Amino acid sequence: MTKARKVRTSLLLSLCLSFTMMLSACGGSGDAGPTKEPAASGGDTKEITATTTPADDNAGSPLELAMQGKYKGTKVTMFGPFVDADQKKFEDSIKEFEDKTGIDIQYEGSKEFEATINVRVDGGSAPDIADFPQPGLLASIAKTGKVVDLTKVLDQDKLKKNYNQSWLDMGTMDGKDGKIMAGIWNRSNVKSLVWYPKKQFDEAGYKVPETWDDMMGLTEQIAKDGDPAWAIGIESGAATGWPATDWVENIMLRTTTPENYDKWVKGELPFTSPEVKNAVEIMSKIWMNKDYVYGGTKSIVTTAFGDAPKPMFDNPPKAWFNLTGNFITSFFPETAKVDQDYDWFYLPSIDEKYGKPVLVAGDIYAMFNDRPEVRAVMEFFTTGESIKKWVQSGGVIAPMNDASLDWYNSESDKRMAKLVQDATTLRFDGSDLMPGKVGAGSFWKGMTDYVSGTVKLDDALQQIQKGWDN
Amino acid sequence: MAGRKRKKGKKWIVNLVLGVICLIWLIPTVGLLVSSFRPAADILQTGWWKVFPHQEWKAADTIKLSKDVDLRQPIEVKGKTYTDDQLKAGVKAGDDRLIWENRRNREISVQEQGWVASSTLTLDNYKNVISGKEYTLKGADGSETKEKGTGLSQAFWNTLTIAIPATVIPILIASFAAYAFAWLRFPGRKTLFVVIIAMLVVPLQVALIPVLKDFTSLGLNGSYLGIWLAHSAFGLPLVTYFMYNFISQLPKDLFESAFMDGASHFTIFSKLILPLSVPALASIGIFQFLWVWNDYLVSLIFIGNQPGVQVMSMKIADLVGSRGNDWHLLTSAAFISMLMPLAIFFLLQKYFVRGLMGGSVKG
Repeated sequence: MTKARKVRTSLLLSLCLSFTMMLSACGGSGDAGPTKEPAASGGDTKEITATTTPADDNAGSPLELAMQGKYKGTKVTMFGPFVDADQKKFEDSIKEFEDKTGIDIQYEGSKEFEATINVRVDGGSAPDIADFPQPGLLASIAKTGKVVDLTKVLDQDKLKKNYNQSWLDMGTMDGKDGKIMAGIWNRSNVKSLVWYPKKQFDEAGYKVPETWDDMMGLTEQIAKDGDPAWAIGIESGAATGWPATDWVENIMLRTTTPENYDKWVKGELPFTSPEVKNAVEIMSKIWMNKDYVYGGTKSIVTTAFGDAPKPMFDNPPKAWFNLTGNFITSFFPETAKVDQDYDWFYLPSIDEKYGKPVLVAGDIYAMFNDRPEVRAVMEFFTTGESIKKWVQSGGVIAPMNDASLDWYNSESDKRMAKLVQDATTLRFDGSDLMPGKVGAGSFWKGMTDYVSGTVKLDDALQQIQKGWDN
Repeated sequence: MAGRKRKKGKKWIVNLVLGVICLIWLIPTVGLLVSSFRPAADILQTGWWKVFPHQEWKAADTIKLSKDVDLRQPIEVKGKTYTDDQLKAGVKAGDDRLIWENRRNREISVQEQGWVASSTLTLDNYKNVISGKEYTLKGADGSETKEKGTGLSQAFWNTLTIAIPATVIPILIASFAAYAFAWLRFPGRKTLFVVIIAMLVVPLQVALIPVLKDFTSLGLNGSYLGIWLAHSAFGLPLVTYFMYNFISQLPKDLFESAFMDGASHFTIFSKLILPLSVPALASIGIFQFLWVWNDYLVSLIFIGNQPGVQVMSMKIADLVGSRGNDWHLLTSAAFISMLMPLAIFFLLQKYFVRGLMGGSVKG
C-alpha cells in the first residue's frame, strides 16, 4: 500500500512538473503566435483607416483638424526614455499643443525603456506613440509588423519639405512585408563635437585646430606645456564602452567613404577590415599616449563619461578637450557658462576628400495604434514647433527644416544646428544602428578590453566581429 | 570548573567574531549615509571616510620653477632631481612632500602633514529628493524660469496604496488555504498542494507577457487592482507554504475538542487559528511587504510610470536623470525609502524572530 502511494506521489509530481513546463512554454510562444493588432481603445479604428487617408481628405490634415478642436477630450499615450529634467522640457514643449487641441498627451518616461518596450508590445499594451533613442531597437520591432507604416499616415510631400532626405531614409525600415516608414525624427544631437574650456584656452593663446594634424600638434603642445590635453572616460555602468564607439565612428567617417561606413554598420564590412583597424589605430595615437590623456590610459575605463570633462573646469584646467555629444553639457558644472567658459569645435577632417562628415544621434517616434488623434499628434511631431521650447532651453537640435535658427538661445547651439544643416555627409551613430548584440554588446566590450589593455587590437576586433555571428 | 571557563572564553571569541562581521556588514551602509550628506563634487574627489579627522598633506609653501623647465627631463628642485611622474604622484623630501600644484606654471607645492576633516556637509540631497528638484527652463528671449519638480511624497503614498493590499490579500487567502490543506480532508488535497509547491520554482518573469496580455484585454493594466492581483498571485505559493507549515503544527486536540463543542470550520479558523498564528502572520507579512515595497519589475510592467501611480523604486530610478547626471541623489533616496521597511520591521520584530522559528520543528 505504501509503495502504491509512493508511485502515485511521484506520478503526481512529474505531472505537476510537466504542467509548469507547459505554462512556461506558453509564455514563450505567446509572442510568436498570431497576435492581433495592438488593441486600440476605440472599436471604430479599422473603419477610419479604411475610409480616410490624408490624401483624399478635403477637410485638412489631422493636425489641422486637431487645431480646430475636433479631437478635444481624447487621450494619446506616449512612452519614452526621457525622465526628470528631460521629461519636464518635453512636457513644456507640447503644452501649448495640448491646450490648443484639447488632446491629452500622456507621456510616460522610464529609465528602463529599452527593456520594457518589447514586453509591452508583445503583451498587447503598446503605447500609441513610442520614442526610440536607438533606431536598431525600432527596426527589430518593425519586423514583427506591429508598427504602423507612416507612408499612409503622413503627407509625404510635407515630410520631404521639412526633413533632410537622409533623415527620412533613416526612418525607413524593413516591415513585415516590404519597406515601411517606421518612424519620424523629432530630437537630434550631434556627436562630432570637441568641447574645450574657451576662456582659459584663449588666455593660453591656443588656436582652434582646423585640421586633424593641427589638433595633434596642439595636443603635443599642451602636453609640453604641462597638461594632458584629452579628458576621456568610457565608464557607464552596464553600457561601459559606448563613448569609444563614437570615436571610432567619427574617425571612420573621416578616413573612408560613407558607403563603406554604411556597409560597416550593416555588417558587410567586418571589424577586422583594414578600414576599421586604421580608424582604431588613429584613435589609439591619442588614447594610448599617457601624456595625452588625463589620468593616463588606464583611467579611461574607470572614469565615468559624465565625470570625464570635470577637470576642464578646474582653474587652471587640468585637461582641455572632450569629445562627446551635445548632451554632455548637462554634466558640466552649473556655474560654467556656454560661449564664455566653454565652447566646442568640430572634430576636424582627417582626409579632405571625405568632406565634413557629421555624426548624429537622435530620437525616432513610432506609432503603434492608428487613431485620428494619434495621427494628429504624429503630424505635430514632424513640425519644428513641437520641440521649440526644448530647443530654447538648450541641449537638443531640431532635425526639421522649419525649426528656425533664431530659436537657439546660445551661439553654441546655433552653430551646432548649422553644422548639421551644412554637413556634407550626415551619418547616424553606427553602434545604435547595429543589432543590439554588436552595437550594444561586443562593440562596447571589445573596445573596453582593448583600452584596458587586456587584449591586443587584432584580438579585440575579432572579438567584436564575433558578435555578428552569434 | 575548567570546562566552564573554557566556555566563557569561547563565548568571548564568538562575540568578537560576530562584532567584526557586523562591522564589516555595516561599513557600506555607513559610507552611504555619510555620502548622502556630502555635495556631489566632494563625493567625486574624496572618499566618505575623509569627513572624519585624519592626517593629510597640507600645502605649506610653493616653489616656482623657471617657466621653461622641460618636463620630460629630470627636474631639479632644491638641489635634488625628480622625474615628472614622481612629482605627479607626490614625492617625499624629508618630512615634507613635493607635488605639482600647477604643472603648467611649473609651480610645486611643498606639503606637510596635519590633521584635517573635510566638513562640508549639506542637506541638499535630502531636500532635492523629498521636495523635488528645480529645473531651469529658458524662454524665447533667453530668460530663465525655474520650475520645481515633484518630490517623493506622491510616490510614497502610491507605494503604500499598492503594498498594503498586496500584503493583506495574499496572506488572507493563503491562511484559508493553509488551514484547508492542513486540517480538511478532501479529494485531490495532496495534488493541489504539490501543484502549489511546484509554483514556487516557476520564475515570475515567464508570466509577465501572458499576464500582461490578459490584463490588457480585461482593462486592468495600469490600475491598482491589476497590480494587487499580480503581487498577490506571485506571492501566494510561498505564503501558502509558509502558513501551512505553521498551521499544520498546531495541536490537533484543540480543534477536535472545538469541533466536539459544535464549532464550525469558520469559527475554528477565526477564533483559534488566526490568534494562534499571529507570529507567523507577522513574519510572512514583513517578507511580503518588503518584497512589494522594493519591487521594481512587477510595477514596471503592470502599472507603469505615470506620476499618478508611480511607485518609489521607479521614482528613485528616475531621479538620476535620463543620462544619470544626478547619481548622487541616490544616496539620500535610498535612506528615505529604507525608512518604511525599517519601521515595519521594528514594529513587528518580536514576532518576526518567533515566526522564523515557526515551521522549523515539526511535531
